[in-house]
Amino acid sequence: MRAGARQRAWAGLLALVCLAALTGCGGAASATGVRPTVVIGAKQFTEQWIIGEMYKQALTKAGYDVELKNNIGSTEIIDGALTSGQIDLYPEYTGVILQVLARDESIPHSARDTFVKAKAFQEKRGLTMLEPTPFQNKNAVAVKPAFAKKYGLRTIGDLEKAGHVRFAEYPDNISGALGYTELVKKYGLTDTKVRSLNIGLQYKALDHGDVEAADVFTTDPQLARGNYTLLEDDKGFYGFQNVAPVVHKDVLEEQGPKFAETLDKVDALLTEKAVQQLNRAVDTVRLTPAEVAGKFLVANGLL
Amino acid sequence: MSAQPPVIPDYGEPSACVARDATFCTDWFGDHWWNLFWPALVQHLELTLIAVVLGFVLAVGAAVLCHFKSWLAAPVSGVTSFLYTVPPLALFQLLVPVTGFSVLTVEIALVLYSLYLLFTTILTGLREVPEDAVRAARGMGLTRRQILFKVELRLAVPSLISGLRVTTVMTIGIVAIAAYVVDQGLGSLILKALQSPFNTQFIGAGALAVALALAADGALVLAGRLLTPWARTRRAA
Repeated sequence: MRAGARQRAWAGLLALVCLAALTGCGGAASATGVRPTVVIGAKQFTEQWIIGEMYKQALTKAGYDVELKNNIGSTEIIDGALTSGQIDLYPEYTGVILQVLARDESIPHSARDTFVKAKAFQEKRGLTMLEPTPFQNKNAVAVKPAFAKKYGLRTIGDLEKAGHVRFAEYPDNISGALGYTELVKKYGLTDTKVRSLNIGLQYKALDHGDVEAADVFTTDPQLARGNYTLLEDDKGFYGFQNVAPVVHKDVLEEQGPKFAETLDKVDALLTEKAVQQLNRAVDTVRLTPAEVAGKFLVANGLL
Repeated sequence: MSAQPPVIPDYGEPSACVARDATFCTDWFGDHWWNLFWPALVQHLELTLIAVVLGFVLAVGAAVLCHFKSWLAAPVSGVTSFLYTVPPLALFQLLVPVTGFSVLTVEIALVLYSLYLLFTTILTGLREVPEDAVRAARGMGLTRRQILFKVELRLAVPSLISGLRVTTVMTIGIVAIAAYVVDQGLGSLILKALQSPFNTQFIGAGALAVALALAADGALVLAGRLLTPWARTRRAA
């Protein structure tokens, strides 16, 4: 009986030592900087591929383990991937967060207000946002200059004067808060018909006369040459759209302060002029997003 | 920090061919072979191989089971043919909430698709083994297990190969759609060339997928010939 008790005591002690060793080891590992891999997400268009690559390359250079998952779209889907922990962060447009995710009807009056409100929304969900980029990439309605001249079009609402208008919209933005249906409602357009076209095909459709108007992005390189007229969004339908990384709070804590600093440095470089040229380097010069991002980071001393 | 404007590097100009987005620009294709097309081709082959090998193992197991217990054949065939009718894009999207934007999602879907054709052809192959051959083997004193491995499965090789051929070619096609889930393979290049329209990338990646399918099919035909020397002797005679 006594022998049995002693055995049990030894076993208990052994178990305790093992447990201590295990937890000790775990603690030591996190203290010596073995950090989990960070998964960056990006949506399914050029600008996101470039920004995603920049985050990835700059963070890798700074010593972080990073994986990039491209082509996760649309907004709802990539947000779901973030909240479910499939990705740790992704670059998102501030206005999109308010309009699509927070379903906030009121449009803030400045870019800063938009960011602050978007950040407040994300913080309620265990997420946070780092500093926004200087550039904005807003949706805009483009038409051919000749068409605008013929009907004297200046604002989106003027499309009502142009008779039957075929409107090119990318497939995942027909019914959303920034989508075709809401746009038509907001501007009271009564004689329009939507044509669902992938991002990038709108310009070809405008050129071929397949559509009269198209939803485009203000940082599209196709807009640089004056071949298209943007109609004024005088009702502020599309809001303000700077980019900021949306990231899990605990990931930020886990990775340490230098992590956010690295991303902030990248984002501070992204002016409208820079982003238009970056988009052009991919869409027109046909370099890969990785090449374009790398060259830009090298030129600015981040790589 | 943001006060200072960024340095924008000179990204140069596209070649004349690329600038007018001609149907196919050989110069650009050559320049991007190693950093774009080759890695995508290898990924495409990997995704396909994993799925076909796993699918084949499962299908052989299921077919052998149904060969022994023939009442199982109808329900198994029903389930696999149902899976086969679900559109790939829909199946991918159904799996994403469970297994995420991952290779796992893609492989689960691909394996489920491969089962129907593989199972059907393998089971047919087993059933079409001449009764005489099985009877002769039994007469020689072979056990049921020996008959399966030494007679039936060997004589079914032509059916196995034909099942693998159709399945491999089909899987190479479906892997191209998997780019909606993982940013890998030739489908990723095709998808990106649609989102940022560019003919050379679109046509180059598409042509490579066709070439890969033809090459895989050819390799399986060759493997089939090597595995069935008796067929050749019969042809020669």
